[in-house]
Order: sequence, then C-alpha cells, then structure tokens
Amino acid sequence: MIRLDLNENPYPPPRSVLEEAEKGLREVNRYCEQACLDELKRSIEEYTGIPWRSIKLSPGSDTILREIIHSFSIDRKVIMLNPSFLPTLECAKRHSRKMVKFHITPPEFILKREILQEEAREPSLVIIDNPNNPTGREFLDKDLVVDLLDNKNTLLVIDEAYYEFSGNTFSNLVNEYGNLAVTRTLDKAFSLAGLRVGYLLAGEKFMEGLSDFNVILPRPSVYAAIAALKNMQYVMENARRIRSERKRLIRELNKLGIEAYKSSTNFILVKSEFPGLGDKLRVKGIAVRDLSRDWIPGYYRISVGLPEENNILLETLKEILADESNN
Amino acid sequence: MKLGLIVNPIAGMGGSVGLKGTDGDAYRKALELGATPVSPVRIRQVLSLVKRRDINFLVAPGKMGEDYIRGTGFIYEVVGSIGEQTTADDTKKIAREMVDRGVDLLIFVGGDGTARDIADAVDLKIPVLAIPSGVKMFSSVFVVSPYAAARIMDSFTADMPLVEREVMDIDEEAFRQNKLAARLYSYLKVPGIEPLLQASKEASNTSKSEEAQKREIAEYIVENMEDGYVYLLGPGTTLKAIAGKIGVEKTLLGIDAVYNGKLVGKDLNEKGILELIDTYGRARIIVTPIGGNGFIFGRASKQFTPEVLRRVGKENTIVVGTKGKILKLKHLRVDTGDEEVDRMLSGPIKVVIGYNEELLMEVRA
Ligand SMILES: Cc1ncc(COP(=O)(O)O)c(C=O)c1O
Repeated sequence: MIRLDLNENPYPPPRSVLEEAEKGLREVNRYCEQACLDELKRSIEEYTGIPWRSIKLSPGSDTILREIIHSFSIDRKVIMLNPSFLPTLECAKRHSRKMVKFHITPPEFILKREILQEEAREPSLVIIDNPNNPTGREFLDKDLVVDLLDNKNTLLVIDEAYYEFSGNTFSNLVNEYGNLAVTRTLDKAFSLAGLRVGYLLAGEKFMEGLSDFNVILPRPSVYAAIAALKNMQYVMENARRIRSERKRLIRELNKLGIEAYKSSTNFILVKSEFPGLGDKLRVKGIAVRDLSRDWIPGYYRISVGLPEENNILLETLKEILADESNN
Repeated sequence: MKLGLIVNPIAGMGGSVGLKGTDGDAYRKALELGATPVSPVRIRQVLSLVKRRDINFLVAPGKMGEDYIRGTGFIYEVVGSIGEQTTADDTKKIAREMVDRGVDLLIFVGGDGTARDIADAVDLKIPVLAIPSGVKMFSSVFVVSPYAAARIMDSFTADMPLVEREVMDIDEEAFRQNKLAARLYSYLKVPGIEPLLQASKEASNTSKSEEAQKREIAEYIVENMEDGYVYLLGPGTTLKAIAGKIGVEKTLLGIDAVYNGKLVGKDLNEKGILELIDTYGRARIIVTPIGGNGFIFGRASKQFTPEVLRRVGKENTIVVGTKGKILKLKHLRVDTGDEEVDRMLSGPIKVVIGYNEELLMEVRA
C-alpha cells in the first residue's frame, strides 16, 4: 500500500538519527533524564530562536493541542476554521464550553477577517492551523495575528505543523505577546512520525496555565530529535524535494482534469466529481484521505510521496479515469 | 431483492430543443420540435451496467418500464396498466401498487416532476433510486450518473444507510422565462452513498450518520431552549427531529409553534404566527436552509413573512442543518421580498451543525 493519506514524510531520517534512536532503545528501562529533555529544549531554542523557558515538549503536537483545549476552554469559547486538523476540532467540540467554527469553502477559501475579529471580541481561544489542513493554505498574516493578539481576552494558538514546508512563522511574536502559542512538530519535515516529537513555543499566559504539563518523552524520541535538529541540511533538502514534487503533482493532476489546489504543505487538496475515487485508489493499493465524511464530498487530500510513488498515483488515476469513460 | 422500476418516457425531452421541462402543453411543443426521448437511453444504460442477478423486478408496463427490461435476462413482472399517453396519475398509481407489493427499492427515471409524483405516492415509506433524465433537477434526490445508479443497485441491501433528500417544485412557466421559483415540495429517502448522489444542485447530506446528526442537533437545540419564548419551527426533517426531541408532532412542510415544551400552533400561516407573537411576547424562529441553494427565508417557508421576521429579529433566528447540507454551501441566502428585512438578516450568522458545534457563516441577500 502506498500511504498518501497521513501527510507523512516519505523520506526516512538519516543514519545519524536512526543510530541515536537505537542508542536510546538500549536504555529504555530508564526514564529519560531531565538533563536530556533540557538538552532537546536547548536544541529547539537554537533552531527557533525562542528561549528554552518558553518551550514545552509534547509527544506529538496533537497532544499539547488537546491539553491547551482542556486547560483554556472552560471559561471561554473556542474559535477554529472549518475545515481544520480533525482531532483538534473533535477535541474542542467535546470539551470546550462553546465551539464556533469559521466556514471556509472552495474554490476561493475566503476568511473574512472582520467577521473573525468580531467573533473574537468575547473571551476566546482561537486555534488556527497555518498552513491549514486539509486545504494546504495559509490564512494568517501579520496584521490579522497582531490584531487578534491586541485583544487581551484572546488566546491565540497557531498550529505550525507544516512550517518547514511553508517557511512562514509567527513564533517571533511569542516573546512579545503572552497570549500567543505556536505548536510545531518533528513528525513531518523531520521524518519522525513514528517517534512522536512535538513542541510548543508560548508566551507566559500559556506557560502559566500549562505549568503542570511536563511530559517525559520516550528516550529514543529525545535522542533522535536532538540528532535530527543537528542535521538541518538533510531536513531542508527533503522539504525542498517535496515542494518540487508538489509542484509537479499539482500540474499533472490538473492535466488529468482533477482540480488540484495550491499548497504550502507536503499535501495537496484535490477535487474530483468521479464517484468513489478514494475507494478505487485504495483497491489499487494507494491510500488517500477522502474528505466526504468530514467535509465536502468529492474532495480528497493527497500527501506528496516519493517521485516514484507519485508516478504510480498519476498512472493509476489515468487508468481509473479511462475505465470510467469506456463505461 | 425486489426492485420496482418506473420510467417517465417523456422526461428530459424539452432540454434538447431548448424548452425547460415537458409539463403540460410544452410536451407537444417538444415533439413538434423533433425532441427525442432521453429516459429510454438512460435506463437501458443503467441496466446494462448492473452486475448482480438476484433481482426480481416489478416494472411498469410498456414504455414506462417493461420495454427496457425485456431481453435483458432479468426476472420481472409487470405491474398496472397504461394507455397511449402516459400521465402523472399512472406514475402515482403504479408506485403505490409497488409499495403495497413490498419492493425494497423503487427505481425511477425522470426529472423533478416525476420525483414529485413518486413523493406523492411513496412518501418516506420505502427508499428510492432516482435516475435523472429531466431538464430541471433542482431536487437533490438524483444520482450523478447511470454508472452510480448501477453501483447502488449492485450494493443495495435492506440495511443500507438512507438519507432524506429534498424534492423541489419549480414553477415551469416561471422557469421558462428564466425566473427561478423553487419551493420545497416534499422528501424522499435515498441510499446514502454521497459521492454517487448529484452534488451540483445538491441538498441534504452525506454519510450514514445523517439521522444521528439530526438527533445531535436536536439535543443541543432543545437543551438550550429557554422558557418564555415561543419557538416557531420551520419545515424540514431536521426541524422534525427537534420536534421529536421536544416530544411534539411536526408538520413536515409547515410551521409549528412550541411554548415551554408544549405545542401551541400547527401548520401556521402569517396571521397565526403574528397572533402567537402577540400572545407570548417573545419569539424565536428555528429554520434549516434548502440544500444546494442555501435559502433560509423567501423560498421554502413563505409563512415567515417580512413582518414576522421584523418582529422576531435576526438575534432570535436560529439556523440549523446537518454538515452534509451546510458545509457545501458557500453562504446562506434570503429573498424575503422586502429589502430592509433582507438587509437586516444579512451578514454573519451562526448555524448549529452538531452538539456544541456552531458554524459561522454569512447570509447574503
Ligand atoms: C495541522 C496539523 N496539526 C497537527 C498535526 C499533528 O502532528 P503530530 O501530532 O504528529 O505532531 C497534524 C498531523 O497531521 C496536522 O496536520
């Protein structure tokens, strides 16, 4: 099965990282020491420029996003975009006092900022994935972010899981605004999905509220993460290859008559009226994310794979579409 | 598996000659213009794509069914009788008989008019499979293609998830003059395989949890209802679910009123609504948009007149809808016939789409 459904990195981590993970594995009867966790924070500090006291580690960024919802939505409503990363949406729906989702639709994908700002006038926890999953778009710009942050009743969380693919970040505002938090992950661009390493860069309001969220990450994860952050060239080269494949894939999909939207991530949102396209691909050994159940029928999210995987995808799509027109 | 089949042999003939529909006299005009029938081609194609053989067909006579199944190898039995010119009554009569004879799924080929006839006869008693061949298909019951129809027939089982979809009534005369006057007519139950249902002129929902979604919405709405308000419930099955949760009966296509958990008005007109507002002082409206076009006022429920809407106000208007219906809409629409009221209703509004799940959307006039 070619897995293009979970936005994973198709490239494995480099040898140095795998060796560190193995080293960690040999000591797994022991918890990872605090010193080691601190070293990872120092590495993140070096990478992001955010002081390590403003950093929290998390087993995958999804975990800390949940923790934020649990800690901060008791007395305030949650505002998110629809669509967004599904586990966060589901968590907010179940656990927040009140949940409001901002409706975004293709093909224009317009976020009317006045409406969002108006809605955020009451005390709110605003959570926005930027770039957004599954549309692949960036909805935030500095004016909007600063405007939201200037309202001290607002807590803003920006989920930057795909930062290394988009190149745009708001993390530099964390020092200035106590009501801003940015979540990141090494599961995507750093190829560590199987080790689950996420982190939070946050202002003091968030750090206070999360003061007892101190998770000891698995030793192999911590070792591997430290090694991965030492080899940024490898990460950035993979990100570059994925971006270039993304461009090719969008072009080729459009040629097949499948509408593929622009993206700032390692996945592409596509639209096809072809009935049951997701199932058809699955039968032929390719998994993509069918968004009919959770969003709009006819929309799919396809991760950018290795060039050869992308070729198989394109060939398979061609076959399926040809079958249909013969019928 | 017992499947019924009814074909409207003249549906779709107006399109090729530039007429919009074949209701009434337009049919004769279409023939004069040299229109050829669309339905026979459609149904033959569907039948040739169906793979399963464990089907017993009950078919309408002659050009309403039998002609297309003969020679295909399917086992079939003819139901009812027809004359030279087929009529809406033929469709209704035969559909009713098929329901009585226990078909599991009723397949029909036609357009909006045929869908209305089928809805009159079948209601929500059994699921239908609607194959489009008409010119106007504003109803959201239709499947996307003959191919999709065959897929549904191949995979149909008695416990397949079903969704309720809207049957629309378009005034053909107005439509021919390029005016769109659509009105919610009724509902039919169709197999809920979303990508196989027509998405272009769509309506209400997607996945198997359609009914569960309505219950979820109902639960949230009812938990948040306040005493001291008269709640005016608009048409539709989502509102029916809300009424069900309150424990009162709902007029499917009309407006009913509830006060402190009790039914205080049934199938109300404007006058009845205004009287209730006078009596109880404070009122809220709960409505669901029409699938596909997103109208909340001015199309489906004319009883919510500009005067009623002015008295209730936007702040007391609650919009609800399942995700399958709502998420596809770009925005909601109003066309009350009163510019000032349209303006009052325009702008952002929150739509309840699940338990503790509200979607911020825009209303446009
Ligand atoms: C927008 C977004 N945020 C967060 C995550 C979670 O990533 P992880 O928990 O692996 O760090 C994902 C994963 O797909 C995502 O798409």
